[in-house]
Amino acid sequence: MSSTLEHYVNTVQNYSTQGNFAQLCEFITKSADALTKNIHHLDYVMGTLNVQQHSLGILGILCVKFNMPNIHDFEMLFHQTQEFIYMCNGEQVRYATESFADLSHKFTHQLIDRKTPLRGIAILSKAIRKIQLFPSQLTSLHSDLCQLCLLSKNMKPALEFLDVDITDISKEGGQYDAKDFLQYYYYGGMIYTALKKYDRSLYFFEIAITTPSMAVSHIMMEAYKKFILVALILHGKIPLLPKYTSQVVIRYIKPLCQLYHDLSNAYCGNRSNDLRAIVTKHTETINRDKNMGLVKQCINSLFKKNIQRLTKTFLTLSLADMANRVHLSGAKEAEKYVLHMIEDGEIYATINQKDGMVRFHDNPEEYNNATMLRHIDEEMQKCMKLDNKLKEMDREITVNPQYVQKSSGTHDDDLPVSSTKVQGY
Amino acid sequence: MAVYGRKTDFRRLERDLEAQELESPGGVAGSYVYSQLLSIYLVHNDTCNAKFLWKRIPQNIKTSNTELNQIWAVGQKMWQRDYPGVYETLKYDWSDRIKPIMNSLTESIRQGAFRLVSLAYSSINSEEFASFVGMPVSEAIQAAVAKGWTADAQSKILTPKKAEKIGDPPLPSERQLSVLTDYVSFLEN
Amino acid sequence: MPLPLQQGALQPAAEPMQVDAQPEENDNTEESQNFNVENPSIDLEQYAGQYIGLARIHRLLFIADHCPTLKIEALRMALAYSMTTFNANLYQVIQRKTHEAVSASSSLPDAVAGAIHNAPTLDTQWIETTAKKAAMKLEKLDTDLKNYKSNSIKESIRRGHDDLGDHYLDCGDLSNALKCYSRARDYCTNPKHVVNMCLNVIKVSVYLQNWSHVQSYVNKAEATPEANEPGKDSGQTVQSKLKCAAGLAELATKKFKSAAKYFLQSSFDHCNFPELISPSNITMYGALCALATFDRQELQKNVIASSSFKQFLELEPQLRDILHRFHESKYASCLKLLEEIKDNLLLDMYLAPHINILYAQIRNRALCQYFSPYLSADMRKMASAFNTTLPALEDELMQLILEGQIKARIDSHNKILYAKDIDERSTTFEKAVAMGKEYQRRSKALILRSAVIKNQIHVKSPPRDGGQGGEMSIAPGTASSARN
Repeated sequence: MSSTLEHYVNTVQNYSTQGNFAQLCEFITKSADALTKNIHHLDYVMGTLNVQQHSLGILGILCVKFNMPNIHDFEMLFHQTQEFIYMCNGEQVRYATESFADLSHKFTHQLIDRKTPLRGIAILSKAIRKIQLFPSQLTSLHSDLCQLCLLSKNMKPALEFLDVDITDISKEGGQYDAKDFLQYYYYGGMIYTALKKYDRSLYFFEIAITTPSMAVSHIMMEAYKKFILVALILHGKIPLLPKYTSQVVIRYIKPLCQLYHDLSNAYCGNRSNDLRAIVTKHTETINRDKNMGLVKQCINSLFKKNIQRLTKTFLTLSLADMANRVHLSGAKEAEKYVLHMIEDGEIYATINQKDGMVRFHDNPEEYNNATMLRHIDEEMQKCMKLDNKLKEMDREITVNPQYVQKSSGTHDDDLPVSSTKVQGY
Repeated sequence: MAVYGRKTDFRRLERDLEAQELESPGGVAGSYVYSQLLSIYLVHNDTCNAKFLWKRIPQNIKTSNTELNQIWAVGQKMWQRDYPGVYETLKYDWSDRIKPIMNSLTESIRQGAFRLVSLAYSSINSEEFASFVGMPVSEAIQAAVAKGWTADAQSKILTPKKAEKIGDPPLPSERQLSVLTDYVSFLEN
Repeated sequence: MPLPLQQGALQPAAEPMQVDAQPEENDNTEESQNFNVENPSIDLEQYAGQYIGLARIHRLLFIADHCPTLKIEALRMALAYSMTTFNANLYQVIQRKTHEAVSASSSLPDAVAGAIHNAPTLDTQWIETTAKKAAMKLEKLDTDLKNYKSNSIKESIRRGHDDLGDHYLDCGDLSNALKCYSRARDYCTNPKHVVNMCLNVIKVSVYLQNWSHVQSYVNKAEATPEANEPGKDSGQTVQSKLKCAAGLAELATKKFKSAAKYFLQSSFDHCNFPELISPSNITMYGALCALATFDRQELQKNVIASSSFKQFLELEPQLRDILHRFHESKYASCLKLLEEIKDNLLLDMYLAPHINILYAQIRNRALCQYFSPYLSADMRKMASAFNTTLPALEDELMQLILEGQIKARIDSHNKILYAKDIDERSTTFEKAVAMGKEYQRRSKALILRSAVIKNQIHVKSPPRDGGQGGEMSIAPGTASSARN
């Protein structure tokens, strides 16, 4: 073992024992070149270090290995990375969030290149837990995990992260950027869409669209298209975007999505034939946007919406008449739609096969039972919790020195909102 | 292997199998993991996740395991909500590992069909009903009458009995009162 | 001061066409553009006699445009009338139209046709003398006004402006007329003058179809104290004129209920406004708008029981019958009568664009009113009461229910319409739960947004040297739907 490597091992061991991790980080960053030169001996060096006690030292080595243009033995590196992420000391690696994130990104890319995204899911999930300060903190690893889930067609493991509402974003040495953010909310929206959790997917797409923006981003544009389709399926109309939506969206993205606005207009006018005509005419574009699945569900949901309109007007209606009114092929198809909608709780009705009629009912929920009370209770609690959180944030702002400075009039123009202090340093 | 009969056991098995798949070396699990997990998703009526699982199962496993294909055939029929098709595809000589799961699936689909028909129909043709529950007409009528439905012998039309509302869990009133107090003070602030 | 003829040539020729030329904001007006009325029952002579000035010509031209059977007669009358004014441009326009209409009505060659049908030839002599006379009169009025101004006699200056305005109006130069009438404003010395000025401006603004202008000058006039003491006849006449003008403006902007109220306030005994409107117009406009927008009580109190409007209704017995039948819930015959008078109404330039909307609203109101006392109604009977078929009635009712105008449900099986009250308690709960969800959603988004801003996350343009704009493109090999 060359003296440089010996020095590396000794320094890592010494600083780690002293608990001087900040300085250790600095040392490791500087050692990258030396380690690269000794690439063939690194496995041996790793063997001399303890993954729990010398997590940063191993992280440094792994980063170097992933940075090599050609990875010699990926299986070995995979297992080393897996072991490191499973066993490393979270407290230590949080001194080097940037490197840790970098390692995770490179690892993800390798797996994607090797077309084995599934192998990374459990490891990335673990990695996020290691690096997070608390579960509602967003890291740049989140979008990696979502990407792996989408690519491996295994959506479920992402949910334990997606279901948590983010309250903070990890700074990762200033490396966290808009792309990670957009990707997380775009991929997340797609995962929820795939699992038919449209309410949540609409929310995710909305977050992607309303990200502060000074340029047109492809992700935002694709998110906007999907936002429209999901909104139609879920609400039958496009909700207004919040006031803080960037001008870019209104000025540049909207005009680029005319097709989707046409679809929405036909949908909102309840014109299923027009809707189908537009889809037929633009099949190619929709396929290119990879939105055909969603568009087909839109068409389907318009039939359902029109049936729902009927339930608001009729007490009874023959299936044949219904088929006629909502442009379905006949009584049999209408019965199928009604049956499915009853099963899914989208309408309240009973079919009478004796005379081929449907009888519509009101929502049987009378808001007078304990189950409903408990439900409202829970909702109320959530609202109160959020309200408290907002109040707390408000208090934080009022005692923020910069805010006080600004609002008291002593202008120190364009101070960055946060002085980007990275935790730990 | 333990006999999985109860719902909670299936939930646990589902979690175990999911973890097994993720931890499997090279990202490819044994074919028994796939066939069990696929059938368990079906028991939980989780056709969405079943569909994605089917999509990610490696092609060579799909071709070598006919049972797996048969499980997915059931899944497809469930996705299409094609009741006769479901019962038809369920008629299969399942392996020991899969058999209890599929038995449970048949039972829950039949119960679900009973529930759905009583919810959605005020009267239904007995033949149609039989196809919902996957039984011969005479047996289906018997089963329905046993549940308190009425059957018209002439027209062969069944009148389902509406499902009763599930009993309401009682509320501890003291706790309720204190919660209400919280709300009022929250709203006033 | 500009020369009258040149000025005139630039603009007023288009004036009579404006009815058709100005599209309304609402897209329901397409019928008003192109329709033809085949079987009107109008005595043109008597009809035209109710109006003077531009009102008469505009109305005749509107009829000519929309009624082939009356076209030539209407044009001839307009042509003759135009020769009593100084409006040489309008004369030429009408002459050309008349000539075309007469030629088109005959298959014979132009010259022969002209001889047979006696198509009027262009009277160039008249045009010339009229232009000359107009110019002379303008010059004289101009000089007079200058003299008054140098003598600073306020009242004379005011009159001078008014006279000049009258003259411009007579020549068809509306914008100059409007200017002159407005200038008189500075020389008004008593409320009466102010009101007079307002009426002049209102008149021209109606011709120009500048409805917001009309409304604001009506307000101005009404705010003028003692200008319209109710006791005096003149005051009541002014009042009636203002109500009519305001009604017209509301009608044109589709505020039918407010239009009805204005028309109902005009007084029959003091109704003299041939420059704009005839008493029978007031009856038509008032009655139809009221039918379309008033509820039963309002209709009873303000229309049927109104002693003043009763007199108006005597002018239009058919409308009177329609109103009474509507009130007596004899909807079938009421709607039938309405259908009968539709052709005539369509020839009214102010009413025509709104007829279909008004008729639809009247019908809907009838449907709602028919059902209002019932808990359930036999739709077969209802269909016969409304001269319609069951399926058509079902469609109409469906629309009304979706719009919330009728609170009912259709039993299509037994063809019965059942009244349906909304369960306020449940809807309130439903709304509350939905609002709670929305609040949570918005709050979560806000909390997240504050984290985004704190971290200065925003989408930037890709670095210039990056070449492929790599920053924003989605990572390669993703299952995403990124372009390409």
